[in-house]
Amino acid sequence: MLSTIPRFLSRTAARLPDKPAIVSRARTVTFAQLQEEALATAECLRELGIGAGDRVGVCMEKTVDQASVILGILLANAVLVPILPRLKPPNIRHIMENSGMAAMVTDAERLNEVVGFGSLAKLIIGHGDVDKDWPNLPYMRRFMQRRTFFDRIASDDAAIIYSSGSTGRPKGILISHRNLADGADIVAGYLDTREDDRIGCVLSFNFDYGLNQIWQTLHTGATLYLHDLALPNDLFAMIRKEAITVLPVMPVIITKIFDRRLKLAGDSHEFPSVRYVCSTGGRLSVDMIGDLRGAFPRSKIYSMFGLTEAFRSTYLDPDKLDVHPTSIGKAIPDCQVLVLDEQGNECAPNVVGELVHRGATVTKGYWHDAENTSRVFRPHPRFPGETLVFSGDRVYRDDEGYLYFVARADEMIKTKGFRVSPTEVESEVVRHPDVVDAVAFAVPNIAIGEDVACAYTSKHGKPLSEQILLHFLKSQLPNHMVPAHLVHFESFPITGNAGKLDRKTIKQAAFERLGLAPPEAGSGPRA
Amino acid sequence: MRNELVVLTDYVRSESGYEGPLDPESDLLDAKILDSFSIVQLAMFVQERFGVELEAEDLTRANLATLSNIVALIDRRKAGVGG
Repeated sequence: MLSTIPRFLSRTAARLPDKPAIVSRARTVTFAQLQEEALATAECLRELGIGAGDRVGVCMEKTVDQASVILGILLANAVLVPILPRLKPPNIRHIMENSGMAAMVTDAERLNEVVGFGSLAKLIIGHGDVDKDWPNLPYMRRFMQRRTFFDRIASDDAAIIYSSGSTGRPKGILISHRNLADGADIVAGYLDTREDDRIGCVLSFNFDYGLNQIWQTLHTGATLYLHDLALPNDLFAMIRKEAITVLPVMPVIITKIFDRRLKLAGDSHEFPSVRYVCSTGGRLSVDMIGDLRGAFPRSKIYSMFGLTEAFRSTYLDPDKLDVHPTSIGKAIPDCQVLVLDEQGNECAPNVVGELVHRGATVTKGYWHDAENTSRVFRPHPRFPGETLVFSGDRVYRDDEGYLYFVARADEMIKTKGFRVSPTEVESEVVRHPDVVDAVAFAVPNIAIGEDVACAYTSKHGKPLSEQILLHFLKSQLPNHMVPAHLVHFESFPITGNAGKLDRKTIKQAAFERLGLAPPEAGSGPRA
Repeated sequence: MRNELVVLTDYVRSESGYEGPLDPESDLLDAKILDSFSIVQLAMFVQERFGVELEAEDLTRANLATLSNIVALIDRRKAGVGG
């Protein structure tokens, strides 16, 4: 077990047993304690019938217990399936069914939300009060031996992370132990994460970027400080109190931290302890960079880019942020980014092509989805025997080799740090009894990436009360999927042949009605 | 029930779509009734609707996560008392 997260854990627990590993409002664990808890969790899972390769869901709030469960699943030779707690029941059900989940670990407080899924998978409490009806990991751990039976090799399955595709439901991306460990090592290398770092963790552990904060901690011996960002002043107080040195964020989080409508605490609104801020999930605006520099005057700012299928593709050297503020940078170490035309040839500088990623972070494909896997995970004649990720993202390279993101080939909406599939929004909007058809799309909003907008037609041909429609949608959809703009159409144009809705024309008309520049404008390369 | 509490309860219900019981003492974030986006909206609403100006030190989770704490905060600000 050379390149695995369990190896990072055992190595660091042996080297720095008494150093705090994870600190939350509720409690602190040292590396030795974290290892003990993770091993005991693995033993509990085995006791509960979880075997090698079984998929185990984690639908929990961010706590030290959640980290113990995540590591325990890996140590039990099982496969981690993170589930965002805010998902609505049908989406949770889809992930449970699609992954063939053997067990799902959840919080005691959220048990009533998922108890209906008991027939799909064994339900286990990972955090919170003991209830005699359900196995409770924090309680069970007290009676467990701490044995190591981790025996996966690095190419074995470690995790399935679900991510929305442009059509249909979220797809599971299958990730090996080697992917996780190599990704963590590459990132710790270029960011120079160190043992004396104190990482402020506002990200959730439900996606690759958030999970990587745990891996960074285990790999380098840094300390992770968990924080649920609600009001920025609470975050600033935590950064000051703990002398945070590293702050991984996303554009949506930066917008929240520097909310213009809120007064930010005190005159001493500067935090020199922060050594670097890194961001992924969208581009940084000039305002965001300015806000970060104001609050964190000694911090380097890393703008990074990637997709879950290959974890991370590029980052921009912080020294180049002012020279090339709109660039996504260059390939991360041990990976290569190609810009290919439709024939598979490398594009000349300033010519737009598809971002194709090769290297250590290429994942194993989509879980039980051969068709989509063969579409995105493909060989290339120049690299025999290798699988590359054909991202579908349109990019170009300038004369100095800096890469620029142009657009997605598909129509995914990136909002508030989430990838939202238009199909998922539309299918809820049309469930309203007075709605006939719906077309969802993205409209630009630099503060949060994009806004979800939705055009719809109604039974009476008249607009519905926006308040009523929104109220209905808020009860059906997670907040980030609720449209920020609703546009009523008397009828939708149809494309010539197949009788499909003419999405392109609808989107253009809706942009006009919203007073926005046409959707295609401004998306071309800037020379 | 105090008028402020009625207004706040209506606001939280209409913003969140939540229809279950709403205890003034319960933490709206922990209970997942509000998220980190909507609690900021709530702070804005409090300022506008009740004509109070919230200072930087007021804008914390401790002051804004329960309805009863918000009512207490409004009282303090109306009386011109510090946080």
